[in-house]
This record gives sequence, C-alpha cells and structure tokens, in this order.
Amino acid sequence: MTATEGFKRHGDHSYVATFADSEKEVLLNLCEQIIELLAERQDHGHDDPLAAMVGITSHDSPPEDEVLHRLLPNAYADQVDASEFRRYTEATLRQKKQAHAISMRIHLKSSDDGTVDLDHDNANAWLGAINDIRLALGVRLKVENNSHEELELLAPDDPLRGVYAVYTWLGWLQETLLSALIDDADEDEESQLGNS
Amino acid sequence: MVKTADKIEEEIRAIFSGDTPWVTIVWDDPVNLQTYVVYVFMELFGYSKAKATELMLQVHNDGKAIVSTGSREEMEHDVARLHEYGLWATLQRGDQL
Repeated sequence: MTATEGFKRHGDHSYVATFADSEKEVLLNLCEQIIELLAERQDHGHDDPLAAMVGITSHDSPPEDEVLHRLLPNAYADQVDASEFRRYTEATLRQKKQAHAISMRIHLKSSDDGTVDLDHDNANAWLGAINDIRLALGVRLKVENNSHEELELLAPDDPLRGVYAVYTWLGWLQETLLSALIDDADEDEESQLGNS
Repeated sequence: MVKTADKIEEEIRAIFSGDTPWVTIVWDDPVNLQTYVVYVFMELFGYSKAKATELMLQVHNDGKAIVSTGSREEMEHDVARLHEYGLWATLQRGDQL
C-alpha cells in the first residue's frame, strides 16, 4: 500500500485520510503509549473515595516525568495557586487527553482498509491527540535546545533519528488536517458575512 | 501598541464593575505548529482567522500573548481548555502583569 497523502476534505465537515498498514501501526502504537502515560499517576490509597469520584486528587505537585509535566503544566506561576488548581483539575485533564487518543485509536482500529472519515468533533480529538504525541516526542528530542537543523543532521544510527522522522511526519499530518478544517471555517465565516 | 476598541471597552467595563480583571496568557512553545495555534484560538474562543493569527504571531514574536480577559473562574476555564489542546497557558491577575 502507498503512503498516505494526508487528510482531505470530503464534502461538508468530513475529513478523510487513508493510511498504509505500517502507518496505521505506528499511529496505533503511539496512541497506546500516550493513553498509558496519561493513566500512570494513579491515586493510590486515596483517603477520600468521594473526592476521588468527583476528580479531586490528593496530589498537587507537578508530575516528575518531564513529558507528563509538559502535557499537564501548571496553570499559575504561583506555586500555591498552581497546586490548588491541579488538585481539582488534573484528573479531568488526564481523562480528556486520554479520550482524544482513545477516539483516534477507535477510528484506526475500526478501519479495515486504513481509511478514516472524521467529523468536526473527531477531527478536534485527532488534532489534540496528535499534538500530545508531538509534545511528548518533542521533550524526548529536546526540541527546546536542539534546532531543526541540528536534528536533521542526526547520525543514521542515532536512535533519535527515527523519533525525529515520526515527529516531523506527525507535524505534516496535523497540518493537512488543519488546512482542511480551516478551509471549512473560512467558508463558514464568509457565508455568515454573506447572510448579515 | 495601539489598543483595539474591544480591549479598551473590556478594561473600562472591568474598572466600573469593581472587579479586577484576570488574564489568560499563552506562552511560546517550539513544538506547536503555528497553524494549530491559530486553529485552537478560533475554535476555543470563536476568534476570526485574522484575530487568531495576530495573537499567534504575538506569542511567536514576543514569547507570550494575552488571549482572553475576564473573571478568575472564566480564565481558569480557558486555561483548562487550552491545556486540553496542549497549549502552554497560565492565568494571573491583570493588575500584576
């Protein structure tokens, strides 16, 4: 099977891409990893089961893992405010991010021929999931310190070379979905102007 | 920088209502694609493509931009939604900028 051409818009609010088996496998694998990563910090021995049920957690410090820290950042510069906010919101944020990746996984798994057809909400879930995967890979690649030119020059036997290839491919894939979505948004804006 | 009419109106409203406005700030990030940041601003805040692009460029060039203003609760909601989509956002009191 040939490599995907990315997402294309099909009619109103429908975004379609066909993936080769190997691409589908890579995407599924990345989804699994992100779902697992976001599930990790279980609230062991929570004192208050009712609080746990409504998503309040006993931990309020940022995750130690660098990737998780980027996915679940502090909402305030002030540490006290940041901890308080985290206690009430981190569990929900994890669930929402997991839901994006789970949605992506379901579409890929339920596609026999590698074709996925997304509506607007599914497309947003995919964008969020792809972005979380890129953020995670970006931390591993130390994109903060390494320029793209440096990353392009990684030695063929450097294990990060493969990671960088996936990272740029995901960026391209995300871009194809975005241009399809923004075309739609432009048309909606124009038609609203036309109606007013 | 010249203030937009929207911004001045927002500030005046905040002064007369006696509430200190809070702001949501988005910080520059080397991973997020520019197109993605524009799309998220359009989608979450209902901004036009032009306004969303202007804000994205401000984040890119200045390292940060105020993307929304309002009550503390509203800004916490905005930050949570931005975090859901992987943007690096914080909130703070508008008078402590």
